[in-house]
Amino acid sequence: MEEVPLLKALHTKYSKDAVILGISVDVSLDRVDRTIKEKGMTWPQLADGKGFEGAIPMAYRIQGTPELYVLDRAGRIVAKTGSANQVEALIKDALARPPM
Amino acid sequence: MMNRGALSRVLSGCLFAAILAMAPGPDRTAAAQSAQSAQPPAGPSVADIRAMAADARKEIDGYKTAGGAPDAADHPAIKWSAALWQVRDRAPNRETIALATLEAIRMLNRAELWDRTQARVASLDADDPAWERVPTALYEGAIARKSFDDTIATLSRTAASTKSPSNKAAALIIVGRIHRRLGDLPAATRSISEARAAAPGTPQAEEADGLIYEIEHLSVGLRAPAISGKPRNARRAITLDSFRGKPILLVFWAST
Repeated sequence: MEEVPLLKALHTKYSKDAVILGISVDVSLDRVDRTIKEKGMTWPQLADGKGFEGAIPMAYRIQGTPELYVLDRAGRIVAKTGSANQVEALIKDALARPPM
Repeated sequence: MMNRGALSRVLSGCLFAAILAMAPGPDRTAAAQSAQSAQPPAGPSVADIRAMAADARKEIDGYKTAGGAPDAADHPAIKWSAALWQVRDRAPNRETIALATLEAIRMLNRAELWDRTQARVASLDADDPAWERVPTALYEGAIARKSFDDTIATLSRTAASTKSPSNKAAALIIVGRIHRRLGDLPAATRSISEARAAAPGTPQAEEADGLIYEIEHLSVGLRAPAISGKPRNARRAITLDSFRGKPILLVFWAST
């Protein structure tokens, strides 16, 4: 959760040009909703309450959090990282690439 | 409902087993011995080895922080590694043998005593149960040294000469991981597929399955797996495709 302030800043800074999509691996949907509210995470948040066994975490082989993927404009994987710290450079890199 | 007769039979049965279990010395009956074999095995347990490794790490890191000479003959890593190796020799089963060996080598890695790591590994028979975990320690060392060729060579040799399917698979999986790390995905896929074929039904085969999936679906440059759903905090369902044209940051998170 320590990445939230940085994600908020990125969400503000790149709101027009890039998308942030959160996927919670919490097993309680009440907890998900509470956290989204308390932390003020305004970008879209998916969750199915199945934790790491949920369809999306399984498809991305998520084994711990946070885990971040950067996708380019065509939806291709640019990078995967376990920390939000370097993620702005990766977004800039994806933005600099030609559209398709 | 249990009647009195059944209850007293159960009770006397328990008592009998308890007396047999207490019986000392050589004239134990077969029943007492089978009761005994249900007990945890003698010798170091996984928890014992983990605790020992934690102590070892603490002392080695303390030595480094205090500015201890990295090449000193009395480096605590040498002492701890030798102690873990002794534990290895007393370990009661494959799991504890492999774990003690893994930790013994990790302590040498931690002190960057690569020559000693190499000597220890060279002393292991290719069929030694430790080879299920040793490849991991070699991989960690190779990452630290940023040098992979000799590790690939060592692991390939072991994979070629061992008669143990799981040893072969464990070695080939790390060869595959190294290739993947170096960006050679075809070579990674070859090694990992060979690992999977060598040891069907084992944890190594399961790990190989996962790695092949990652290579085929989650490698840089590939289209990311499809995502769709209704966000908790929005009215309309979304898909990854609905954002096409913009870079996307996916953040997997958990409340803390």
